[in-house]
Amino acid sequence: MARTRKEFTVGPTHELQPGQHRVVDVDGREIGVFNVDGTYHALPNLCPHQIGPLCQGRVSGTLISRKDTDWQRQWAHDGEIVTCPWHGMEYHIATGQCLAFPEVRLRTYEVVVEDDQIKLRI
Amino acid sequence: MTVETTPAASRRRDRLEDILVVDADVHVHESPGELAPYCDMPWRKSLEVLANVPERYLDIPGFSAGAGGLTAPFPGGHDSKRMVTTADQMREELDKLSIDLAVLFPDHLLKIPVLPQKEYAAALARAYNAWLIDKWCSQDNGLLGCLVVAPQDPEDGAREIEKYAKDPGIVGVYLGLAGVDPLWGNRKYDPIYAAAEAAGLPVLLHSVTVIHPVFPWQIQGYDTEMARHTVAHPFAVMANLVDMITTGVPVRFPDLKIAFIEAGISWVPFIMNRLDKEYIERRREVPFLENRPSHYVRKFYFATQPVEEPENPADLVTLINLYGGEDTTMFASDWPHHDFDHPSKVFQLPMSPEARRKIMGENALRFFNIDEKGRRLNL
Repeated sequence: MARTRKEFTVGPTHELQPGQHRVVDVDGREIGVFNVDGTYHALPNLCPHQIGPLCQGRVSGTLISRKDTDWQRQWAHDGEIVTCPWHGMEYHIATGQCLAFPEVRLRTYEVVVEDDQIKLRI
Repeated sequence: MTVETTPAASRRRDRLEDILVVDADVHVHESPGELAPYCDMPWRKSLEVLANVPERYLDIPGFSAGAGGLTAPFPGGHDSKRMVTTADQMREELDKLSIDLAVLFPDHLLKIPVLPQKEYAAALARAYNAWLIDKWCSQDNGLLGCLVVAPQDPEDGAREIEKYAKDPGIVGVYLGLAGVDPLWGNRKYDPIYAAAEAAGLPVLLHSVTVIHPVFPWQIQGYDTEMARHTVAHPFAVMANLVDMITTGVPVRFPDLKIAFIEAGISWVPFIMNRLDKEYIERRREVPFLENRPSHYVRKFYFATQPVEEPENPADLVTLINLYGGEDTTMFASDWPHHDFDHPSKVFQLPMSPEARRKIMGENALRFFNIDEKGRRLNL
């Protein structure tokens, strides 16, 4: 039997503008809620590296480097990456993918908007 | 109870002389006089002058840099001047060591990176390569050559690799790492890597002790050769390996096979773990890496000599296993140098028979892409 998911209200949408994020306490769990370019995402506020408060880190972009640009470093994923404030581990907010380690991917939570309220379904 | 069905003959323990031994590092002795006839003008004239300069161990002014000319030799009975001057002599000596196939490196030109004259260094490399193929690799004698390329002139090095790409006597490219500036991760060397990758020839970064104002500097102040030799080889190797990883050489040249020679192996787990630790915090500086640095280090090959000799030999097997070295470690003797390792020293490590055969020979066959007779498989 599927587990019943609970819904938690984060707050009104106008309090989380594009580019902003904040950490909320939901039923004893710390969850980072992000507005990336108008789309909402949520990740656990826990970096698996050394249990740092990941979602209190800065949201920014990152550097990439590929053969087709002769391995020159390029700025990419602007506003899509959160960096753990403790040791700098980077995660792609929308997918939870750790940029350093292909095998590390954080769980993501569903975020919905109803009546101008941001809600987490956990 | 398991019934033993293996014939008695194959149950017997392997003996050294029963298995294939490929030696990833032996040294030919090239003197200025030997190379002079093979050298382009005007530098042939220089070698003719140098032919009359008295030689110390890996030390001829203007040809191979000595220990700075300031240190007194320690008195004693250890003669470090052993050298091999002909292919026949090499074959005879390697037979006594139970070595079947051996990969040839230079003596003096190990120090080619510190020569300040670009044209001269490139001419020396070309002369050595022509001489090596003419005098050492032209016979069916199990002696296989490494081309020397001068890091001072990567384009000329690339031309040398292209020139000898299909030579049956050539199985690799020697990259001198001691004293090299810039380090081997610099993109100025990309022509060498591109040429080697295209030719299907591996590159072998071989260490040596040099006194030169590059990392590891400050070794000129050591009182002893023991201190210099302890530090010089592994630290010069680590400096280059770190540079190659953090500039993405194995990503830019994914089909290039890379080996590190004459630094032992016990530093490999250390530098691998150190790089992985840094990567956690600084991945964005090396965005070309698609995985942790150890992912790439595990693909490099490492030669055993000068093999560490811990009180408990099993410690060395543990160190090899820490970098997955059963498939990437190659026996090397460094014959005839003062710190050569007899193959029995590696052969007797407490490993499985399979691992022993890999490290004593099979890994080298794969690395150099040759068969058990030393024939190249990619011609």
